[in-house]
Amino acid sequence: MTTPLVLLPGEEVPSDHLPPTKNNNPLKLGPGLRLLSQPSTSAAAGHVLTATQAGLLTTDAKRNTVSLLSFSNRRYLPTTNDLIIAQIHHSSADYFHCMVTPHTAHALLGQLSFEGATKKTRPMLKQGELVYARVLSVGIGAGAEVELTCVNPATGKAEPGGLGPLVGGMVFDVSTGMAARLIRASSASPDQTDAVEGLVVLSELDKKLESVGGFEIAVGRNGKVWVDCSNAGDSAIQATVAIGRCLQQTDEGNLSTSEQKKLVSRILREMKIG
Amino acid sequence: MSKEAPLSVAERDFILDALHQNVRLDGRGLDQFRPLSVSFGNEYGHVKLRLGKTSLVVRISAEVTKPRDDRPFDGLFNIALELSAMGSPAWENGRSNDLEAYVSHILDRVIRHSNALDTESLCIIQGVSCWNIRADVHVLDFDGNLTDAACIGVMAGLQHFRRPDAVVKDGQVVVYGVEERVPVALNITQKPLSTTFHSFDEGKTVILDATRKEEQASEGELVIGINNAGDVCFLSKFAGDPIDALFVVNKSNVAQEKVKEINAMVDKVLQADLARRAKKGMAEEAQAENDREVSPNDPFV
Amino acid sequence: MRTGQPRLGSQNRIAAYFAAVVSDESVRECFAGPAAFPILPNKRVYFARNRGDGEDKEEVEAKVQALGVTATSKYMGEQWLVHVPGTHTRSATHHPQKNCVSNFVTFTTRHQATTTFIMVGPTASLAPLYRADGSSSYTCPATGYELLGAVNAPVELPARRDALKPEEATVEVFVKPGTTTAGVGERYVEGILRSVLATVILGREKGLPRRGVVITLAIVGGEDVERGDSYLTLLPALLHTSLLALLSATVPLSMTFSATLLGVTKSGIIIPDPSAADAKAMASLHALAFSSKGHLLLNESQGRFEFDTWEAVRQKALAICQNTAVSADGDVSMAEGAEGAPLHDFVRETVEDQVHRDYPWKIDAV
Repeated sequence: MTTPLVLLPGEEVPSDHLPPTKNNNPLKLGPGLRLLSQPSTSAAAGHVLTATQAGLLTTDAKRNTVSLLSFSNRRYLPTTNDLIIAQIHHSSADYFHCMVTPHTAHALLGQLSFEGATKKTRPMLKQGELVYARVLSVGIGAGAEVELTCVNPATGKAEPGGLGPLVGGMVFDVSTGMAARLIRASSASPDQTDAVEGLVVLSELDKKLESVGGFEIAVGRNGKVWVDCSNAGDSAIQATVAIGRCLQQTDEGNLSTSEQKKLVSRILREMKIG
Repeated sequence: MSKEAPLSVAERDFILDALHQNVRLDGRGLDQFRPLSVSFGNEYGHVKLRLGKTSLVVRISAEVTKPRDDRPFDGLFNIALELSAMGSPAWENGRSNDLEAYVSHILDRVIRHSNALDTESLCIIQGVSCWNIRADVHVLDFDGNLTDAACIGVMAGLQHFRRPDAVVKDGQVVVYGVEERVPVALNITQKPLSTTFHSFDEGKTVILDATRKEEQASEGELVIGINNAGDVCFLSKFAGDPIDALFVVNKSNVAQEKVKEINAMVDKVLQADLARRAKKGMAEEAQAENDREVSPNDPFV
Repeated sequence: MRTGQPRLGSQNRIAAYFAAVVSDESVRECFAGPAAFPILPNKRVYFARNRGDGEDKEEVEAKVQALGVTATSKYMGEQWLVHVPGTHTRSATHHPQKNCVSNFVTFTTRHQATTTFIMVGPTASLAPLYRADGSSSYTCPATGYELLGAVNAPVELPARRDALKPEEATVEVFVKPGTTTAGVGERYVEGILRSVLATVILGREKGLPRRGVVITLAIVGGEDVERGDSYLTLLPALLHTSLLALLSATVPLSMTFSATLLGVTKSGIIIPDPSAADAKAMASLHALAFSSKGHLLLNESQGRFEFDTWEAVRQKALAICQNTAVSADGDVSMAEGAEGAPLHDFVRETVEDQVHRDYPWKIDAV
């Protein structure tokens, strides 16, 4: 790819920007794009893809995906398999009704959709409590309900690890774009030394807060980051606030990697940690 | 839809735990305002204000109208605050909500009822015509403490605003355009501002200039309207847990200090803006050919 | 911050406009009244540009290739100052859009990036607000209007309002005037905006059916439309602000659009973007919007006019928005190598600016 290609709604994706299609490996579309016509044969040039949002076109030849990176401050739209942090609004006989983003319809989380949950052992969640959950389905058409789960139905385990109620800690709001970056950065292989997705803020914090006991973090695609520093003893509050401020300022200022390092040092100094 | 999304248990507990240790989420001290920036737009009385992430625009306008029958010597002054979905997704367009009524009430009490703007000076002909000054508050982003932000904005706007000059000729009111005669500043008698405190922990912890989340976690609030000289023009504690009377006295002192600071800051920006306008006016006079008003730039953005 | 080929942002159009003024004899005649701009061809023109990214002080040398006029920019505060040696300095906020600039001008920056322009455009930015899901700010130099748009979508609407169209999103538009209470004029213009925007919003996409797309527009600067006066002068600005806010909120759209206002004087001359004051003197006013695919999305006119006049207005509007039509007298011609449309370019530039702001880590890595 040479120059970054920015598309506006209604514009076609130039066919030379599409990854070469291989047989048995269909092209996967990310958000912001729609398919207007499909090739009748297996010829690669037949796809007509148009943008429905404005954004930066990105392709991944390895995974054969093409998607449009849009602005980072948008509202989160539930998408199957996303990990999110939901807040319990109320519970009914079979479900917890959860808030994923403010002022939208509640998502449903089965009372038994937790690891090892039975009628007797299911968690009794109250209003305002948080769960780390996976989007199971988003339904189709008008009135579709979003369903969440904290368990992998195939194995009965909380997969990926950490799904379930989030106890204690603090949750910070970040932009949905930032949340997606944090997730991609954390899922990158640990031996990768370079900054993943232009983010070093978490690894910096990790290094500097190790001495006080480290921290636990869960990132929800809906723009929520849960942070828990209960191992940090006396400086737990300061450390949590510091992490929150670092994340939010990195997000709001679109800081470069060197700026992120400076920010972490400055804020930890201000909060008198490390 | 008219309510902000409720806080999670984790957020509420953490905010309280942190305040126990005198820590706020943005690292501020308990009696500290967020960074405040005030700037003026092209027109007189056009204020852009930002207090942390809360931001708003105030527009002051004037028109000639008839005074009220029961107050023939008084001009009219209104503050219009209408919350739209721009400031928060929780607010519904075209419907008033509790916050709107609450903030409007405090603005009325602190600015209008304290007679900060001398309405008698707005009278043109007794019982026949007077100026109607209107302050429109547009909330662009809401992140707590709307009251104080709106109060600072309206006061700054009133000080910046210049109404057209009007004279009475043969019983007729003649209003001169801004080009014909130098417009007139409003008569400001005092500069009261509100300061809002929120209490936590049965009144043991009290903070100034709460963010939206701090407001949601708080137990009660105390609003003090006070001017530079320390005259309290408004004091309210509408709801929440009781707090000690001595506390109100202590916080009034804090409020007075803050009001002095803010008024000084607004004054500095105001003087700089007026000086720039004056300089530009002179430059324009020197270039008589320069026939059209240029829009001044804004050095504070 | 930026890498690759330097791009000229929307702000540079102002400069380009003045360059255009200098370059074309016929253009000068279009200046109205005492505001005439005494520039002669082959004079040097200074202009400022504000890139808005902290590099304001950069000087750009530009050269109007068409007529050999050399223009150099100079930073003079945040104002667009144009200096013509031998005359006096003028501000570039000087009702520029009032004039009919019909020739394209190509000019080159120091970086050798060649861009094609036609007259001054508005300036805008995306996501200036923090609470709304998407927002835009928009300044229209011709009229002095400053608008803010906010979009919240998709959100839950109270049940009474989603029942009408259960299959798609409900679009709500709210216009808030700067110094008055909203009245009949605002309700009327909201109706027009809603119908135009509803045609481009893909209300059946994932997550949108039965939800609301709430668009709030506030006129935060500039004179208000007086009660009873025409809202047409503000309509293109309102449409652009809404479009940009929708893009910022990533509401799915089938296409983008651009809009323009044309006035026809009593002697039949078509004036693009007349100011509110000038509009009162026009025989007729026409607000037109074209989609990025060339559909006529909006046609609001007022005053007395013949059908032939309207057709001429339509062609002119299409040329301003789209750069596709060529009128019979060769008034507007395709610039060679020009991509897309002038006003359409403005939407694109605003979007690109924001993409560069949001994804420096991604773009720099390329």
